[in-house]
Amino acid sequence: MVRFVSRRVVWSLVMLVLVASIAFFAVNILLPYDFAVGIGRRPAAVLEIREQLGLDRPIWIRWLDYLWHLMRGDLGESYGGQLGDDFGTQRVSSLLWRALPTTVTIFAFGGIVAYLIGEWFGRRIAWSRSRSFRAASSTGSVLMFTAFPPWLVFLLIYFGTDRLFQVRSAFGLGPKAFSPVPEGPLLIVLAGGLLLALAGGILLKGWAHKRDRRVLAVAAVPACIAGFLAVLPLVGVWAEAIDILLWPSAVMAMLALVLIATGENMLVMRAGVSAEMPEDYVLTARAKGVPERLIRDRHVAPNAVIPAITRLITSVPYLIAGLIIIERELRLDGVANLFFQAIEAADVPIIVGILVGVGLIGLVLRIVLDMVQAQIDPRLRTEGRAV
Amino acid sequence: MSSAVSGYEIAGWASTRKRLLRNKMFVVGLIILGTFAVLTVIHPVLQATVWSSEPAVYHPQTGHDRTILHPSSPSLDHLLGTDPLGRDVLSLVTYGLRSTFLVAVATAVSAGIIGLAVGTSAAYFKGRPDRALTHMSDAFALLPPPLIFLIASKRGLLGPIELGLLYGSFFGLGSAAIVVRARAVAVMEKLYIDAARCAGSSPRRIIVNHVVPDVLPHVAVIVLAGVVGALVTQGFVEFMGIAEYRDGLGSLVYNALTYRMALGTGVPWSSLMAGALSISLLASSFYMISAGLREVSDPRRALRRA
Repeated sequence: MVRFVSRRVVWSLVMLVLVASIAFFAVNILLPYDFAVGIGRRPAAVLEIREQLGLDRPIWIRWLDYLWHLMRGDLGESYGGQLGDDFGTQRVSSLLWRALPTTVTIFAFGGIVAYLIGEWFGRRIAWSRSRSFRAASSTGSVLMFTAFPPWLVFLLIYFGTDRLFQVRSAFGLGPKAFSPVPEGPLLIVLAGGLLLALAGGILLKGWAHKRDRRVLAVAAVPACIAGFLAVLPLVGVWAEAIDILLWPSAVMAMLALVLIATGENMLVMRAGVSAEMPEDYVLTARAKGVPERLIRDRHVAPNAVIPAITRLITSVPYLIAGLIIIERELRLDGVANLFFQAIEAADVPIIVGILVGVGLIGLVLRIVLDMVQAQIDPRLRTEGRAV
Repeated sequence: MSSAVSGYEIAGWASTRKRLLRNKMFVVGLIILGTFAVLTVIHPVLQATVWSSEPAVYHPQTGHDRTILHPSSPSLDHLLGTDPLGRDVLSLVTYGLRSTFLVAVATAVSAGIIGLAVGTSAAYFKGRPDRALTHMSDAFALLPPPLIFLIASKRGLLGPIELGLLYGSFFGLGSAAIVVRARAVAVMEKLYIDAARCAGSSPRRIIVNHVVPDVLPHVAVIVLAGVVGALVTQGFVEFMGIAEYRDGLGSLVYNALTYRMALGTGVPWSSLMAGALSISLLASSFYMISAGLREVSDPRRALRRA
């Protein structure tokens, strides 16, 4: 396993250089000098800015320069920062670090919740004999998956804000405008804690499934989250923590992401389960008199889960694109919003930096995926090359 | 020999078509897509006949009905109501569908051709070219085409066709090529490839005549799934107004939302819903066709039905 992972890591570094090169050329070709040209700048000023930013050098020298900096973990400086006008700081990496906690929290939490719901429903939809239920749920999930995000966010705000404020007032909190989640250690601790609680819950759920303890399997994830929340008052940060957890923008963003991603997960899980249903082992299990629920959950679902997880992980970059609108509409200071601002300003280093970051996340997730698959599927657990 | 082969192929296609038409997802998707295609095509016709009144009430850019207040809900004169600027929503939707369809077609064609070319040649020329092409596809698959599409639209010089081609080439070099290669590798193991090689066929001939027909359904599945992303991204671009899109479906939604924010009054539901649901339904029609094709072309299911 160690050898397998270390080989994958080395390969991933090569892939990262490849991704960075493609991103660098794509962005530089698509947005040539737009930043220097600006609005109403005289040609002389444009030339000066171009020289100041090093844009007068040929593109392949800039590319080698970029790769050289990237090897040392340096994503460069934003154009705006180099000229000293906007974005405050100059380093792309610090801009990314500042935007990352919000996005990762929304993303990871929304993604995992969507996966859990989608997996649960998808299994039942595929197994159901009722035609109308299957047709209705398929239509629903296709429409959820292809919903136009700005519209979805609007509907959530329009119909959900009052409900959310009611929930907030139940916890003794007043209404609040849609605004960025306050940064700080508490946000990171909360995000990390919630994710750990979720991961623990999922592990516990898997264990309970194996032992066939149904109540524990259903209650595992909520119980772990409740346990984490119960710790908060003991540490004395309950009021601030609950304010962040019920922050209108964050809640709405998560809901929107959950709605979009759940549709896809339901469809993939349903397709996976119904592809497994004609297999001989299902017939054998039925012939042996295994209860339907056990055939579904113990025999079919583990086989169907692999494509679902693969699909979820490969769709992460696409979901990031959907997140742009969500973050922008809800005024969240996340990576997607930073990306949008950078496009507006044609600030190439930030754009390339974010693309490289997305590629890096994708690569890390793929390594994780390979390990998870090797865990789930014993056929892949061989030394050396896993497919 | 050729007549026997073509006879066999026609029989295969007939049974496939029967199974496709029995697949509800596929049929519903096809019906929705057909409806939207008809709507797109009849826009110029309606513009020349029914909507040709003077002054132009139904013009998608300058139309304005002075007899009623705007935005209005659906009525007999305006089947989908009017938007906050007084334009007929049905006219706007049918006009906006044009650029959406252009993006869809450009994406599908470019992604299909590039994906086929890269994927089948990787599978055919095994070894080093295969490895090089596979790594390249992996790298492209890590760069989401929607983000590239957004960056490109910033320039404002690229029309729907160019943007679709760009999306399609990133998608084709990445995800589509990976899927095609996986299928083509399996096809390359078949005996008739060896037979064709022994008969002295050139690589191009083998790829075009023997490998491509076999992987075609899988290409259709992945390409149509890619079109879903392209359509939603196109909606974004119109919504955010980065590019020079003024009359797309996304801008219909944008106008509806800004109107509400600017005046703080009720929501112009008719234009909001018409724009958003058109994007969503059109995208889902492509998704449904793709899912239907995938179900039908899955050999395991075919076995069960047979």
